[in-house]
Amino acid sequence: MVTVEEIEHVSKLMKIDVDDHSEYLEKVQTIISYFDILDSAGVESEEISMPEIPIEQLRNDEYIPFDEKLIEKMNHYKGTYVRAPKM
Amino acid sequence: MNLKISALEFIEEVKTGNITVEEFTAKTIERINQVDDKLHAFLSVNDDAIDQARNIDKKIKSGENVGACYGMPISIKDNMCIKDTKTTCASKMLENFVAPYDATVISKLKKQDAIFIGKVNMDEFAMGLTTEFSAFGPSKNPWNIEHVPGGSSGGSAVSVSSYECIASLGSDTGGSVRNPASFCSTVGYKPTYGLISRFGLISYANSIEQIGPLTRTVKDTAFMLNLIAGIDPNDNTTINNNNEDYLEGIESGIEGKKIGIITEMMGEGIDPEVLSATKEAISKLEGLGATCEEVSLDMVKYSVAAYYTITATEAGSNLARYDNLRYGYEMPVEGYEFNSYISKARKNFGPEVTRRMIIGGFVPSAGHAGKYFLKAMKVKSKLTKQINEAFKKFDLLIAPTVPILPFKIGEKIDDPVSLFLVDINTVTANLTGKPAISIPFKIVNGLPIGIQLLANSMDDKLLLQAAHALEQTVTLPEVPI
Repeated sequence: MVTVEEIEHVSKLMKIDVDDHSEYLEKVQTIISYFDILDSAGVESEEISMPEIPIEQLRNDEYIPFDEKLIEKMNHYKGTYVRAPKM
Repeated sequence: MNLKISALEFIEEVKTGNITVEEFTAKTIERINQVDDKLHAFLSVNDDAIDQARNIDKKIKSGENVGACYGMPISIKDNMCIKDTKTTCASKMLENFVAPYDATVISKLKKQDAIFIGKVNMDEFAMGLTTEFSAFGPSKNPWNIEHVPGGSSGGSAVSVSSYECIASLGSDTGGSVRNPASFCSTVGYKPTYGLISRFGLISYANSIEQIGPLTRTVKDTAFMLNLIAGIDPNDNTTINNNNEDYLEGIESGIEGKKIGIITEMMGEGIDPEVLSATKEAISKLEGLGATCEEVSLDMVKYSVAAYYTITATEAGSNLARYDNLRYGYEMPVEGYEFNSYISKARKNFGPEVTRRMIIGGFVPSAGHAGKYFLKAMKVKSKLTKQINEAFKKFDLLIAPTVPILPFKIGEKIDDPVSLFLVDINTVTANLTGKPAISIPFKIVNGLPIGIQLLANSMDDKLLLQAAHALEQTVTLPEVPI
């Protein structure tokens, strides 16, 4: 069972400012409880197959210049920088 | 001027000089102005469309080379980048985002003289299956405007179905092309994973999503696929299709083909009308010389849970890029600490996206990953094995695209699991990378039913041939709007 504290913790990790965490509780709990059906899938011994792409099939790691000043399309640009809040 | 023509008919009409691109484009925009207040398919309409049409007419008159689309008006789901055009993803987060480059599918269609008539509505960041989660309001089903048009590519399906364009591009992560195609009575195609480049498609769940066309006919889908499929150096998941011509041989028929009826998609929860329509489709396929028998894929019953676990996890990661610093909406940075600025800015995500990000943070987290994410990945692997095994015996698989009829707007919005289960017949193709198509088949009580066919990876051509054969057995009424 998901708790309000867990939702608060996860939303902090996901960087989402949520005013009222309990607002999400019921639906998130319903969804996560539904996901419990995976327990009965009997897939414990199953191997996870992942597609592999050989490195020679990847495009060359080359600099491709953009034909416009991309930075000027940014929200908070100043000169050659994007402005960000203080860390 | 008849707007109710297919893409191939349009091209023929333009080539023979029966219509001009400008006339057709102007009439299409008039149609949008006439019906879109009711339907809300479009988020923006291309102000330069008439000028672009005029230029194509000039090229035709002067005997210059003209691209294969001949100025065909196409709508584009608003999660694909068109240079210097707003690409909102139906989200307040990207309300003013203007794309600095073209998606590969857009560059390919531009080269073929397509006209992008407008950007169409969707669920925010493609997370939904009704368009009710668009930050700019839902689209309506042109067959009955009290009902959902399906989603997330709802605007695409509505625009094709109601003659506001000839074809559309949508994206399909768990059925987002096929579901609205079924609900609005258009053809909707999800190709083999990797057949169409995703470069310039705003990412939701990269490992399973694909761009796909929505059209009036199967031949139009084959035509579109000819233009947009193929390897792309900007998307290393693309595969080489050796410039396959999907239109060539499309009338080959399906005599002697073996079709598996997926048992798990024909049972519990299926509407009797949908079941009856599917049985009718099976009979018609048998009448065309195919043999049909049942096949079980028992992982299907876990597929929805696996799908939402995987997609929420990928979405949680993909959406981390929206920090509102480089692009986004106007929110000054002064007076904020770095993390609090980002968290505050991300409040502009809608409730469904926020919910999925919370789930996407929860299911792969330490202490929960083994129970949810890893099991979901194992279900995906086992389902892929099962479907590969089925394709050793069968050429194609069949099931209804959606187990129920289009439902009323608001009917399922507060019941997430019931809403998720609408995807039960479509997510299998995404989880396994197989191509699948929804073919308009029947109208019952004024609402459409689509039939889904699936094929093995890279058997897209065979799939289109079978879909065309089935399509030829039905005559459907016109959309009542």
